[in-house]
Amino acid sequence: MTTAEIILLILGMAFVTYIPRAIPAAFIDKIRFGKKLEKFLMLIPYTAMTALIVPGIFFVNEGNVLVGITGLFVAGILAWKKAPVMVSVLGAIAAVFLLYLIL
Amino acid sequence: MTKHTEYIAGLKSAIPVIFGFIPVGIAYALMARQAGFDICETCLMSITVFAGASQMMAVGMYAQGAGILAIILATFLLNLRHFIMSTCVMNKMQDAPKPAKIASAFGVTDESFAIFTTEKEHSSLAYFLGLVTVTYLSWNLGTLIGAVTSDFLPEIVTASFGIALYAMFIGLISPGLHGNKRLCLLVLLTAVCNTLLYLVIPQSWALIISALVCAAAGVFFVDLGGEDDNR
Repeated sequence: MTTAEIILLILGMAFVTYIPRAIPAAFIDKIRFGKKLEKFLMLIPYTAMTALIVPGIFFVNEGNVLVGITGLFVAGILAWKKAPVMVSVLGAIAAVFLLYLIL
Repeated sequence: MTKHTEYIAGLKSAIPVIFGFIPVGIAYALMARQAGFDICETCLMSITVFAGASQMMAVGMYAQGAGILAIILATFLLNLRHFIMSTCVMNKMQDAPKPAKIASAFGVTDESFAIFTTEKEHSSLAYFLGLVTVTYLSWNLGTLIGAVTSDFLPEIVTASFGIALYAMFIGLISPGLHGNKRLCLLVLLTAVCNTLLYLVIPQSWALIISALVCAAAGVFFVDLGGEDDNR
């Protein structure tokens, strides 16, 4: 992509990120969701983030699937033990760093 | 309380978030620089978008050759959750004039939402702006550090930060999965669905289709705790 295209991409992202944040502020008195639509909107983050994790995490290092598996395992355990998001992130980075040192 | 003390209280409440936003900001910036963004572009995205998960996803998709439209659409989908969050935040923030609310909505993130809506003593615009000030500055400071140091860091460090995005998503979805077998099942279904689609169509579109179709399917069999709660 050219610089102009990257700027366009960034501005487009800024727009589609701000709109869902701003609409409730503008129409707070008028918004009422149906139960089904509300549930759909609440499930999207789970399905979207899952699709972002799998299968992508296994290819985080193109040559070695073990890197992704290590990260998944460490972040998964920490998150399951209710560690703050930041701890899962730092733990996974540290584990992968150690793995790279060994490899 | 005066606006001033409310604002200070907001600043203080957001302090723990600094330690989360700076490392993730660094991770995002390293990914962006590796994907081919220059320092200005990397920082511009953090300044104008201010959404960690989306930004990491975007530079990740960019690195894999996705087009502008696919990235923007995926960003939109991932940010739909802000719609719900902003609704809760604005519902609670009763005192503010509408234009101020609309402007402050820029600062709705997973973290500012979580702090603001669970806070018992404060519900003012000034308090929320205190939260936003700290989260926004930490995010952009992290980005700047990552963008500038990217060229000097050993490859092993930048490579290790590649896992950050996935770890963050795992950390974000896990709390909701506790004790909710049906939601776990939906996550599993999505993982299988996306992996199968990934084999036959471009990755970015596989992601969008799996996210939408599986969420729609989930409406019929998943129970979300607190869905009757309108806060």
